[in-house]
Amino acid sequence: MNVVLQVNGVAVELDVEPGVMLLEVLRDQLGLLGARGTCGVGLCGACTVLLDGQPVSSCILLAPLAQGHALTTVEGLADDDPIVQAFDRHHAFQCGYCIPGMVLTAKSFLTECAQAKRCPSREQIAESLGGNLCRCGCYVKIIDAVQEVGS
Amino acid sequence: MTDPRIRASIRYPNDLTVPGMWHARLVRSPHASARVISIDTSFVPEAVLVLTPSDVEPLGRYGCQISDQYVLAGVARHVGDPVVAVAAADEATAREAANLIEVSYEKLPAIFDERDALRADAPLVHDSHAVSDSDSAYFGLRPLADTNVCHRFRIRTADLPQGEPYTADPESDDHAEGFDAAQVIVDETFRMPAVQHVAMEPHACIASWHDGKLEVTTGTQTPFNMRQDLAGLFGLPDTDVRIICPPMGGSFGAKTFVRTEAIAAALAQHLDRPVRLALDRDEEFVTLTRHAATVRIRLGATRDGRFVAKRIWCWVNTGAYADCGPGVAMKMGYAGVGPYRFDHVAVDSYCIYTNLPPAGAFRGYGAAQSVWASERVTDLMAAEVGIDPVELRRQNLLVDGDVFCTGETMHDVHFEELLEDAARAVDWQPGGDNRGKGVAVMLKGMQTPSKAEVGIRRLDDGHYEVLSGTTEMGQGSAKAIAQLAADLLGVDADQVEVPPPDTDRVPYDTRTTSSRSTHMMGRALETAVEDLKNSGSDYGHGRIANDGGLDVDTGQGIASSHWHQGAAAAAVEVDDETGVLTLRSVHASSYAGRVVNRAAAELQQEGSMIMAIGTTLFEELTFDQGQVVGPNLSDYNIPSALDCAAVSQTILEIEGAEVHGLGETALPPVPPAIGNALATLGFRPTELPLTPERVLGCAEGPS
Repeated sequence: MNVVLQVNGVAVELDVEPGVMLLEVLRDQLGLLGARGTCGVGLCGACTVLLDGQPVSSCILLAPLAQGHALTTVEGLADDDPIVQAFDRHHAFQCGYCIPGMVLTAKSFLTECAQAKRCPSREQIAESLGGNLCRCGCYVKIIDAVQEVGS
Repeated sequence: MTDPRIRASIRYPNDLTVPGMWHARLVRSPHASARVISIDTSFVPEAVLVLTPSDVEPLGRYGCQISDQYVLAGVARHVGDPVVAVAAADEATAREAANLIEVSYEKLPAIFDERDALRADAPLVHDSHAVSDSDSAYFGLRPLADTNVCHRFRIRTADLPQGEPYTADPESDDHAEGFDAAQVIVDETFRMPAVQHVAMEPHACIASWHDGKLEVTTGTQTPFNMRQDLAGLFGLPDTDVRIICPPMGGSFGAKTFVRTEAIAAALAQHLDRPVRLALDRDEEFVTLTRHAATVRIRLGATRDGRFVAKRIWCWVNTGAYADCGPGVAMKMGYAGVGPYRFDHVAVDSYCIYTNLPPAGAFRGYGAAQSVWASERVTDLMAAEVGIDPVELRRQNLLVDGDVFCTGETMHDVHFEELLEDAARAVDWQPGGDNRGKGVAVMLKGMQTPSKAEVGIRRLDDGHYEVLSGTTEMGQGSAKAIAQLAADLLGVDADQVEVPPPDTDRVPYDTRTTSSRSTHMMGRALETAVEDLKNSGSDYGHGRIANDGGLDVDTGQGIASSHWHQGAAAAAVEVDDETGVLTLRSVHASSYAGRVVNRAAAELQQEGSMIMAIGTTLFEELTFDQGQVVGPNLSDYNIPSALDCAAVSQTILEIEGAEVHGLGETALPPVPPAIGNALATLGFRPTELPLTPERVLGCAEGPS
């Protein structure tokens, strides 16, 4: 079937199988490799993309259902994005496999915090990142990075 | 420019594609032990390649320490053993084809528990044990014929009886000499379950053939071992196998030796086109695990707390294939002795086949299992003799010039400083009320013997290229090597390039394991830079070796050319009604020598501690008739951002000291520090993880 997806501000028209997940479309058809399949059941957060600013697991979102929504992948963030910069400054990564999902979840959370004009605590940041797993265990520095931007 | 990992401008093995490649899928055994009777492929479309065990049997067997594994199993030895491989032009077709294959099996007897597998009537997982001729079989392998023991390792210090016959039977193997002077003896048996690495990136590789030469792009910590083992299988000279190693999305020991690569290479050879094989998450759980182990320790001391003798039995469950289990069993054996002085030490460690998925390298490599037992026993002794646990350790710790149980003299020793630093972090009151607090201290060996070679090339633009076999899995090796080279060359680190290893381009290195690479590559780089300066050419070559190794019959020799040294402390609370254990503080203190990259050192420490917290509190692979229960991240939980609030650390650095790897040091002491803290509250934990059920189950009464 034909779908039109808004990915990182660009409308793309694609021919997809109705049952295909957004993750596969991003990776295999659009060559956007920042979202990564890892657990396959929407639990680890490595496949996170933003759908109208909200983090979603692209490994369990049918691609046709993403029509009509603004999708942001990590490739859609600028290199000088404050969150990208903070992750870099705090060395908040090891292997990096989970980091795009982590950055996008943090982006969404910090945008909400900014709109509510509040500085999140470390506990609130940890809570917000609870659905993004990092087996290298970079959480301390990731929370440092998010807290810096959030304050 | 920000680091390429943040915005995904880095490519992992799982990201890679090549034109014309086909996709592989595997049919795996649903039985823990079964012979394949027939394979019905009649529903498989024609344009799909199917390989069966008989197709690959002529390749023979492989295995890094014991040659015990066929590329596809005609006799499946664990649930998930690959039996049939298919390849198709697209992944969906390959998946469908794999589902359409019907395999009939004759079920065979199976055995799962490592001690049951030693009984005289236990079914044999393998009929015979062929020692591998791979470089990875670097010590004397001692399989016991007609048993499930694929290796046994023994330590006997000089004054103890030597050379007694082996009895693998845990019931009858109860003798312990050297305890005559011991006035107090504690004796306890501990168990660590299997756990899984859960690297975020699953195993993925692409294999292709070019004019009879095999090329494999894969995530691996062991490119040269992989090259040798694949060359052996396919009957090629080593130089006709090329291994290319892009940075990995985590490994922790999982991406070592041959995992998926032999199957992909066999498919690619039959098709004469590139084949990609990438695993799903559930397949990871049957590909490699951390060894479950039962460890019994008897510790004898004088009434005033001087350690006299230690006797250790390790029963190490290596699953259906040995992999590097023999090496794990050896390291478990001597790490369990701990950094203490004894008059007598005797260790017997058995690497035992069962019909569980194979176990292999895992961060903490053997030490994690035996340090849990050993440091719990140290606290049991402290309670028996009525001495403060920190003080009891301090009295017995090895210091510079002391002789370890292997006969080697210890040097550059910092156990006491590390222990005291960790204790301070939880506000330890010497001789006072330390309820809810626990400490642990440990040593861990580095791969000995091993070799590292490295090349440095001066490029036309004035930059340098370091050609190194050290692989990147997130530990920051490329950056550390660039920094080390830059310091030696007197240039900025950004003038040094460290491309990913390619065995056609980089000189030999043993492997990227045992936290050896920063240390060994750093030393090799010194000789390479010297050679570059002296050679007058644009290329310098460095090589370094750390010699040693242990006699596996006596445990005497050089276990490690230098020691990873670490301590940890924990403060915990327990809800007596629910058994929920809450971490108030977990602190690790590790000896780094000289720090090369501060941020990477801290990350390795924190990562080790957080992984240790997971395996202490909730991670456990359970099996039902050999089938992993819940092979997914919904049932198998790993730590999240919500599990790390209590973590803090110290990196002990000494100006001008040699570089020590930090990849694992902070993992093994954390479980016993937490267990010892729990024990002060009226519990006697012996088995991990410390789930609420298990905490309540080991309650000794009101605290």
